[in-house]
Amino acid sequence: MKNTLVAIATAATLSLVVAGCGSDSGSGSSGSGSSGGGTIAENMVFGGPPEFKTRADGIPGLEENYGVKFGKYTVTDVGGPVTVNALKRGQVDAADLFTTDPSIEANDFVILEDPKSNFAAQNIVPIINKDKASDGVQEVLNGISEELDTDGLGELVGQVVNDKEKPEDVAKAWLADEDLDGSGDSASGESITVGSANFPENVILAEIYAQALEAQGAQVATKLNIGSREKYYPALEQGSLDLFPEYTGTILTYLDKEATATSPEDVYTALGEALPENLVALDYSEAQDSDAVVVTKETAEKFDLETIADLAKSAG
Amino acid sequence: MIGDTFGWLTDAAHWRSTNFDTGIWDQLLAHVGFSAIALVVALLVGLPLGLWIGHTGRATWLVTVVNAVRALPTVGVLVLLVVVIAPNFYGRTNAGYLIPTEIVLVLLAVPPILSNAYAGVQNVPPAVRDAAFGMGMTGRQVLARVELPNALPLIFSGFRSATLQVIATATIASYVTLGGLGRFIYDGLAQQDYPQMISGGLLVAALALSVDLLLALVQRYTVSRGLTGRLPRAGRVRREGADSRSAVLTEELASQGAR
Repeated sequence: MKNTLVAIATAATLSLVVAGCGSDSGSGSSGSGSSGGGTIAENMVFGGPPEFKTRADGIPGLEENYGVKFGKYTVTDVGGPVTVNALKRGQVDAADLFTTDPSIEANDFVILEDPKSNFAAQNIVPIINKDKASDGVQEVLNGISEELDTDGLGELVGQVVNDKEKPEDVAKAWLADEDLDGSGDSASGESITVGSANFPENVILAEIYAQALEAQGAQVATKLNIGSREKYYPALEQGSLDLFPEYTGTILTYLDKEATATSPEDVYTALGEALPENLVALDYSEAQDSDAVVVTKETAEKFDLETIADLAKSAG
Repeated sequence: MIGDTFGWLTDAAHWRSTNFDTGIWDQLLAHVGFSAIALVVALLVGLPLGLWIGHTGRATWLVTVVNAVRALPTVGVLVLLVVVIAPNFYGRTNAGYLIPTEIVLVLLAVPPILSNAYAGVQNVPPAVRDAAFGMGMTGRQVLARVELPNALPLIFSGFRSATLQVIATATIASYVTLGGLGRFIYDGLAQQDYPQMISGGLLVAALALSVDLLLALVQRYTVSRGLTGRLPRAGRVRREGADSRSAVLTEELASQGAR
């Protein structure tokens, strides 16, 4: 009696294992290779963060603007090492990475052009508490925004990610190069807490803001590497953080899920309306860290891909 | 929020898989799969080792070492292993993410299984063990017929706590591109779709409780009645007051005598 029950229990467990294995291998094998009918995209696995699947400028936008429908979606991470590795090793064929990501160049990945501006503009913009935004502080931050550009920012990120330099040193060197490190007193008397999310680029930007304001006499405290927007945005809204480097498109969709603006000016205008009373967006920089559909060089050559629209071509 | 969560859970579209989205049934199956693999491996490693240590009294330091493994931060170990292991796999395979996940879950499941097996055998009263040896049983017979049945309640409690931990922690598989019920928690947070996130949490809790209930049933019918005191009505009077542990031995002797 006892032995029979043990045997049944063992058999049940083993069948669960088999079922589990079956579903694992099943989910990994579909939609591979270039053979079969349909478009190029339909035979591809796309890798990106969870929200890309539902975001207006994510998968729905790609379908609406370019008629591109991917065969399968694998959730990786937000433009991080998991996505890069999955694309490099062939677990996914196309991925959502960010334009300033140094690993795009390091791995010979190809960014597919976005002629219809599916992806919303993601200009770097300082979001600051209104009470702290004195003329002097605004002058310092707007000066920084004026000098930042996408390529330059990509280089700074590369110095941190690839060359393992410290964000504070990279920020200091950049300020010196751009002649923005001169000391003065235009921000004196202000005490400002600068925050950043937990990825290198955002930390560098926060360091740049902090060091420039400090050089102008402000009392600066930093709270870096805070984590996701769900954690830091409430702190910014409630005033325990005063200043944060943000991206116009992302912060806009966070505040207004229905937002449809895509051009830099439209997004910036919409952002100004969406921000609560006590927060203000200063001048945005020309530097953008926007999403991009990225493929490997081999894939791009094999299917002759240049723009996202090319993914909707027939695979035959 | 409660109404939205109920609505999310009762939407039939969320239960079925499409070729783009994985539904609850398939994620549930994947979740059970991840957990079952880890638990079977942990059982194969932890149980024999724990029984052997308890039986021989040798290498008891191993119990301490294995228990110390519990202090490892699971997510940290997972990310570290993914960074080391994932780049070795090419093409359409999950193996680079599945193997690290299973290692992490096994590390979590082995300590309770091993230390409870050890403690279970260790706690068998010396008199019972001596009596078994005195009857002429070999060491192996004593372990299999006396120590193991007597240790079963503790072994079960170890396995059940390992199961709960593994099912709850298997949600981290979603952190490294795999499926499972964690997918809804992780995706719901990222998509600001909180009903989806809460539903994921509820599903994990429901799964953990159901499996625990199932194991409680298996335990009820496998552990000797002499240990649980759960006796048939007729026998209750006769055996009342008897040392429950020696009752197992009595039962064993009776069955041997019958052969």
